[in-house]
Amino acid sequence: MAKLLIVDDSTMLRDMLNYALNEGGYNDVVEAVDGVDGLEKAKNTTFDLIITDVNMPNMDGLTLIGELRKVPQYASRPILVLTTERSDEMKAKGKAAGATGWIVKPFVPDQLLKAVNIVLSR
Amino acid sequence: MAGFDISKYREMFVEEAEELFESADNLLLEAENTETLSDEQMGQLFRDVHTLKGSGASVELALFAEFTHDVENLMDKLRNHDIEFIPEMVETLIDGLDVMKELLELEVSEELTRDTFTEMTTDLLVDLRAYINGKTVVSSKAKEETTVADTPVEPDLSKEKQAFNSFNQIAEDDGSDTIGFYDDDLERKRANPSFGFFNDDNDIMDNDDSEAYGFFDEKYDEAAKNIQSTPVREYEENDDFGFFDDMPDITPETASSEPIEVKESKQPAVQEVKEEAQTKAIAPATPVKKAARKPKEEQATSKKSAATNNIRVNLDKIDLLMNNVGDLVITNAMLTQFTTTIDDNKIRTSVLERLELLERHIRDMQDSIMSIRMVPMESIYSKFPKVVRDISKKLGKKIDFKHYGDNVEIDKAMIEGLTDPLMHIVRNSLDHGLETPEERVGAGKEETGSITMSAEQANGQMIITIKDDGAGIDTDKVLAKCLANGSIDENQAAQMTDNDKAMLIFGAGVSTADAVTDISGRGVGMDVVKTNIHKLGGAIKLDTGLGIGTTITIMLPLTLAILDGLDIAVGEQKYILPLSAIVESLQPTSEMIKKIGDGTQDLLMLREEFIPVVRIHHLFGVEPKHMELEKGMLIVVKSGNSKIAIFIDEFLHQHQVVVKPLDKNFRSVEGVGAATVRGDGSIGLILDILGIIEAQKKIDRNMLESKNAS
Repeated sequence: MAKLLIVDDSTMLRDMLNYALNEGGYNDVVEAVDGVDGLEKAKNTTFDLIITDVNMPNMDGLTLIGELRKVPQYASRPILVLTTERSDEMKAKGKAAGATGWIVKPFVPDQLLKAVNIVLSR
Repeated sequence: MAGFDISKYREMFVEEAEELFESADNLLLEAENTETLSDEQMGQLFRDVHTLKGSGASVELALFAEFTHDVENLMDKLRNHDIEFIPEMVETLIDGLDVMKELLELEVSEELTRDTFTEMTTDLLVDLRAYINGKTVVSSKAKEETTVADTPVEPDLSKEKQAFNSFNQIAEDDGSDTIGFYDDDLERKRANPSFGFFNDDNDIMDNDDSEAYGFFDEKYDEAAKNIQSTPVREYEENDDFGFFDDMPDITPETASSEPIEVKESKQPAVQEVKEEAQTKAIAPATPVKKAARKPKEEQATSKKSAATNNIRVNLDKIDLLMNNVGDLVITNAMLTQFTTTIDDNKIRTSVLERLELLERHIRDMQDSIMSIRMVPMESIYSKFPKVVRDISKKLGKKIDFKHYGDNVEIDKAMIEGLTDPLMHIVRNSLDHGLETPEERVGAGKEETGSITMSAEQANGQMIITIKDDGAGIDTDKVLAKCLANGSIDENQAAQMTDNDKAMLIFGAGVSTADAVTDISGRGVGMDVVKTNIHKLGGAIKLDTGLGIGTTITIMLPLTLAILDGLDIAVGEQKYILPLSAIVESLQPTSEMIKKIGDGTQDLLMLREEFIPVVRIHHLFGVEPKHMELEKGMLIVVKSGNSKIAIFIDEFLHQHQVVVKPLDKNFRSVEGVGAATVRGDGSIGLILDILGIIEAQKKIDRNMLESKNAS
């Protein structure tokens, strides 16, 4: 069973993500409320996939990705960024930070699952 | 997806939005006063609004998100110093947040149409977008004059508007469903087909620009392609996600000149991210400094984010824990009682000693759990600055709102019950208490009035004071109203002190306002205040001086979970009286008792005051030991302005009880507020003084009616 970590400061969005992932058969989902929390949780457990928001207090998603990439077990594990902007700049930033891909927020549950299925079936 | 219930998430969002609005409002209010916005504040503002937009869009509040996008744009530009902050922006942003709140409310209740939306947002959008474009805005007053006759739709094509109509156009062409882009430059780049950087993945992926996901690794791309070839619902064809892995790889489709462009555009992005990472990494290292400088903001962040040292726990779980400890207390008491059956003195003493130790540990544990439930008063205070600002603006009053005791802690369970009463009091104070600047100057006062709210813990109580330096309450006017509506008679009036008279405003249907406003004045507020405070087991006091101001003091128990009680006995039954309600106890002499009516109602005359006597045995239908008042005990209890003397056989001892709500475990019973479990395992009923007073009034009324009928 794949272990997933979702990092978002909005309880509602974490709930929605969790729900959508559960529907898709991913029941092992851990939540973190911001980058700092996410980093600590990711260090304690090795997740197969991390989905993170960008704008969060304490530590934003891009910084989190950068930090995660420094941790050996996350050097090449998939990390997806949730972004409200479809802009190239945002995508470029996500890429520069080391993300594997991006998902536009608001997300369509089926789209989210599709992206998750793709990265995890590698 | 089947079963994806958006309404549940909308509810969550509305709750979350309230916190975010509060945080943003308070930042802006501070900015309004200081006329500055620090980088930190701008970042926080942007995050708040950004989350509002993103979450709002996620629960399909499209119009709300559409407008919020523009507010976010301005904050983003400010945050990045693309435009300079000018104090005038604050008002526009505050108005923007207000409109967002209205939009949210309307859209959640599904009452928002596109027309209403346009009507509500057009003017503000002109201002917002003008600021975004680095222009200053003509004062909104002046603009109102020129646009007042305009219908809210497009005909008024100011320059700013024209610019943004085209902005919208581009956004639409882009095909994004809810939201466009926040940057005009990017918008142009995006519209420029020769910019190949992202085209390659578009080529690999389906085709349209409205991708909602994307891949940058060919392996993923292949996978995506395969998946996409399977039949899926149409909208899923949009890319809603993407992958970055092979961005530097140049696919054959891209023109030869483009890779350079890619590198150029990539470089600053990397740097930017790195810089960002550095600054962000430094930030958490200086929490102390930050806290000292910006306690409020720190508060707001920590409330939401609860970093590594905090966890979010459902209050129910803490209640359960509290309950468990309550059971421990009870079991401990049972054991203590059991020691009386130990014959050997030496053994009994040593067992008792150890039990005492156990009890002390349990108490410590109780205190610790209690402290988990406590939250700082700041979480209540933070709701007020915005309300004060809005109302004082509306009324043309100048008011300074101050609060003290931000760190004084209060039981989380009380916050809900306390916020409404406090809000009522502040509204009343703003509307009726405080005068307009002219009136104040005329009365020789400072032009700016003040409302001060403070909180402190004293004598095991929480004391909250709301003080204004307004006109005070015209007690004679209140008295006249009460006489007119029949809630008191001339005799009662004659005995009242000024403060007694002022306390009358807590009666139902009393208002000193000559005209009803939408802020207050219907006379429904203050009695609700009193009732709510009593529900929390508290009391309320009012001091007023005509022309000087009004101070309202609210006294609350520190927690709703434990109370000090006095065991009383009536016949075979034992009840518990909350200690906080007891005024005094006495054994009456026959001279002190006056009989009224048909002789069934007794009055206790105590120091010139007549207090109705309530026989507990009547109320609960039990057989008492004594029928004559002189043989039993009278305990004078008080709830609000009403006092009654409760007739009991005797009182036993005083102890702390763990409150267990009756309606959750059994059902609600008139005159009984809650229950507890005693040391011997039996159930003890805690009397509800307010309920008994109400019940007594009902009996009086019934008696009167039956008398009138016969």
